[in-house]
Amino acid sequence: MKNFSSQTKREFLKRMAATISAGMVMGLPKMTLAAGETIKIGFLAPLTGPVAAWGKPGLDGCQIWAERINAAGGIQINGESHPVEFIGYDNEYDPAKARAGASKLVIEDGVKFVMMLGGDTWPGAQPVADRTGMLFSTLLPSDLGPDTSTLIAPAEVHPIYNVTGVQWLAENHPDLKSAVICAQDDALGIPSVATYLAAFEAAGIANEDPILFDAATTDFAPIVSRMISLNTDIICLDTCYTEFVHPLVEQLFQQGYEGTVISCTADFYQQMIEKTSAEFMEGFIFQFPDFDDPALEQDFINFEDPGGFFAEYNNRHPGEWGAVSWEYASIMDLWKWAAEKANSIEPGDVLTSMLESGMGEHAFGTADWWGKDLFGIDQALVGNWPVVVVNDGKARIQEYKWIPGWYEEHGEILKKYFTEYNIMWDQR
Amino acid sequence: MIELLLQTGLNALFAAAYLSLVAVGLVLIFGVMGVINFAHGELFMLGAYVVVALYTNLQMPFFLVVAIGLIFVGLVGILMEMTMFHPLKDNPLGGLVASIGFLMVIQALIILGFGVRMEHVPPVTQDVIVISEKVRLPVQRLFVILSALVCLSALWLFLKRTKFGWALRASAQDPEAAMLQGISTRTVSIIALFIGAALAGVAGSVAAPVISISPVIGHSVIVSAFIVIIVGGIGSLEGAVLASATYAFIHTVITTFVDGVIADIVGLSLMLMVLIIKPTGMFGTQDRV
Amino acid sequence: MSKPKLLILFSFLLLAVILIVLPHGLSYSQREILVFLTINILVVSSYRLLTLTGEWSLGHIVMMGVGAYGSALYTKELGVPVPISMVLGALTAGIIAWGLSFPLFRMKGFYFLIGSFAAGEIIRLLWKRFRDPFGGPKGIKRIDPFPDIDLGFVRIDFFDPVNYYYFALIIVVLCLVILWRIEKSMIGLTFHAVHWQDKLAESTGVNVRAYRTLALVISATFAGLAGTLLAHYIGTVNPNVFDIEQMVFVLTWAIVGGTTTIYGPIIGCIILTALNEIVLREMGLEQGRPLVYGLILIASVLFMPKGLEDVVKKVIDWIKLHVLTGRIKNV
Repeated sequence: MKNFSSQTKREFLKRMAATISAGMVMGLPKMTLAAGETIKIGFLAPLTGPVAAWGKPGLDGCQIWAERINAAGGIQINGESHPVEFIGYDNEYDPAKARAGASKLVIEDGVKFVMMLGGDTWPGAQPVADRTGMLFSTLLPSDLGPDTSTLIAPAEVHPIYNVTGVQWLAENHPDLKSAVICAQDDALGIPSVATYLAAFEAAGIANEDPILFDAATTDFAPIVSRMISLNTDIICLDTCYTEFVHPLVEQLFQQGYEGTVISCTADFYQQMIEKTSAEFMEGFIFQFPDFDDPALEQDFINFEDPGGFFAEYNNRHPGEWGAVSWEYASIMDLWKWAAEKANSIEPGDVLTSMLESGMGEHAFGTADWWGKDLFGIDQALVGNWPVVVVNDGKARIQEYKWIPGWYEEHGEILKKYFTEYNIMWDQR
Repeated sequence: MIELLLQTGLNALFAAAYLSLVAVGLVLIFGVMGVINFAHGELFMLGAYVVVALYTNLQMPFFLVVAIGLIFVGLVGILMEMTMFHPLKDNPLGGLVASIGFLMVIQALIILGFGVRMEHVPPVTQDVIVISEKVRLPVQRLFVILSALVCLSALWLFLKRTKFGWALRASAQDPEAAMLQGISTRTVSIIALFIGAALAGVAGSVAAPVISISPVIGHSVIVSAFIVIIVGGIGSLEGAVLASATYAFIHTVITTFVDGVIADIVGLSLMLMVLIIKPTGMFGTQDRV
Repeated sequence: MSKPKLLILFSFLLLAVILIVLPHGLSYSQREILVFLTINILVVSSYRLLTLTGEWSLGHIVMMGVGAYGSALYTKELGVPVPISMVLGALTAGIIAWGLSFPLFRMKGFYFLIGSFAAGEIIRLLWKRFRDPFGGPKGIKRIDPFPDIDLGFVRIDFFDPVNYYYFALIIVVLCLVILWRIEKSMIGLTFHAVHWQDKLAESTGVNVRAYRTLALVISATFAGLAGTLLAHYIGTVNPNVFDIEQMVFVLTWAIVGGTTTIYGPIIGCIILTALNEIVLREMGLEQGRPLVYGLILIASVLFMPKGLEDVVKKVIDWIKLHVLTGRIKNV
């Protein structure tokens, strides 16, 4: 797709304004910000339908973030403080609705930044991003490509951080020598399969062929039976929906599996302990800490008051906490940091400010803008990632691992598997 | 290998059990009302949420909750009969659209009440019947298999031995003849909706501890149920049960030894083949439409 | 020209003016929705042609997908120019439908409904399973847009929803005229005969199976064309865009609108889309949107069993009775 210069962008916006009939409430994004004016941020994600669990809890987290920021004086631009407000649009995980939603948020609502889940919906919104130069963010870095100059993947560089869990496992349990991966056969599962295969190979652990299942699966007993029959030391649950992780773990327990389990996520892990046993879940490795973890109270962590945020979230939305609850909010921390640094909320200025030092403020510490090898552009924020392990019924961060360090050593293996699964940026 | 085959057999038995409960209810409603209940998967989902509300949250005894789930979802079925299927009894496409509307309403109400994320049901028991090292049947799954046996046998007795049951079968086969015999078709359709919905409800309730419960689980259940009722023959309750077992076994074996997407494709092709060779299904006798 | 004819002519002119002016009275995102609405009108109108023969399919949206995937692959893999690939995509949908007609038309009624669902799901699962060339669950991205038209003095950029709306409108109106002509021709009359007097039509020498197949192929071709219009506008297709939930929407548009007239499904599509995408969104009912939409569906089949078209018919009759006769009397 063509890369529009800022000149043509402005012209495009002007032309768009010219075609808008009189009387419609639809001004262009304002170029100057009045004193105390509210800053609007777009939230374009599925809020209803089967993928709503990846959007709605994020919007809830953002509302808490906005209240906390506004109570503390808002966002400081040129010495003026501005409150911040989120405008949501339900794209139902449909690319056509994402396009309509992106147009509404950018052109009609005058938002200065749009956060998306990405995936199926990003290609729908991309033309709008290209034409208007609006800054977008995604949770799925596989949306990145050399032509996505205004898209960033700043919260989780899924699935690259999964290497940290395997690395920790190999260091602490060197006796484990074989693994089998089961994965949902979709855009979420497949890149993760490639990553786990690479991570196991890099750690000297033998891989069985991965077992894929459809995202409409209801009964996981057959998959678990097959995995157990392979007699591996490690069973890897890849990146699955929470709805799948729980029955998989329950079946592993009931069918008598006794080896080690590693997974990308383990939302509501206490419920899994209740469904299995503390002994069974002992040593379960995953990548997403609850935010009351003491290891998050360290100086290099950039997420403000994680414990307070976690408590407030659970208070308002009991039983809804998950990775997306904090991720969109942490993207806003990064955006606020860059906007205040640039003294501007214009998308181009904020993006420049984010990228200029090659480093950005990630929730788990300052991180590198990275990704040219795998995604074709250095706009994924990669740095520390925590390894979380269940010990005595409590999941706690064991260690932070530096992902670029792993990649420097084993990058070629990862590229090999990305190529094998056709997910390198130049294969898409 | 033998162990894996045996375990696969047990896995298939469980899948057959809850699938047949859902499919039999769907066949019953179609037989009597002549309408495809698109919201049938949502009745299964409602049964599971009864368990979330009463067993997880209020800690009532599990089997009492299953009984409540059966009655509550059965009553929802009667509500559907009264508000939608009876007024639309001469308009099967209208009934189809109304059931689609009902599906959306139930899903939205559950999301508003319980949120979009999955729900938790603590285990009722963690006992496992260990047949050998790698052949195990968790007791919770056995509950599902037993409930299917109990409910379906009870239904069979009801249909064969009681006056209402006789009326129900008569009405499904020949509504006009049944009317001439002085049977109130209205009573029959209310009973059919109650039983059909209650079977889906009890399946959802008793399976709740072993499946993941979210507002959208109805969708995957209904697709399998459609396949099963076609393969079994749309008018045949026995066919629905046998087809559930066949489908569950084939699907489970292919999922275990090949992969899940291929299993779905095979399931659908099987259904298409049955439709081509014998459009009334393996056990179907009459063509209702 | 008689007065009623003049009035009809006047109504058509008025409609044309409204359709041309319409996007300029809408906000930018509403114009985007208008583009999708225009495409969906072709989907639901082509669906109606099949229902004339009495068969209701659940695979129609997948035929739209076949067109979309086909056109996208012809441009991406073979470098076919977009306008030609759109025609090829539509034809592909027609050919696939012809192939499917062999198994499917061994069935009727309810069995056809479920059989068409199975056939559609198999195609969708094949898209999911075979990454090469269909892209797997992620589908195909970066599909070439419809090329800009440069006339020297004016450049038409089809990224702009207003321009694409006019483009889609021209195609859809042309298709609707063709569909209308087919319905009014001998073929269309035979479709009706096939529906109502199956055995009778057969005994008079009509090849019922051939006419059913023809209806299926024509409706799939137009659905495929609608798919190509969608693919080259949003630039991406994936299996979920054509799943049973989308099919359910098409079905409800047709039934809520009514299918005895050519305008019934169109009205159903317009009213329900406007309600769901504009009215309910404006009301800020995010989580409650499916709830209200579901209630509207139930209420509409309960209280308007003959569909919205029946309401329109009554309004037209009323106009004929009061306005026309009144005027004629005055003259």
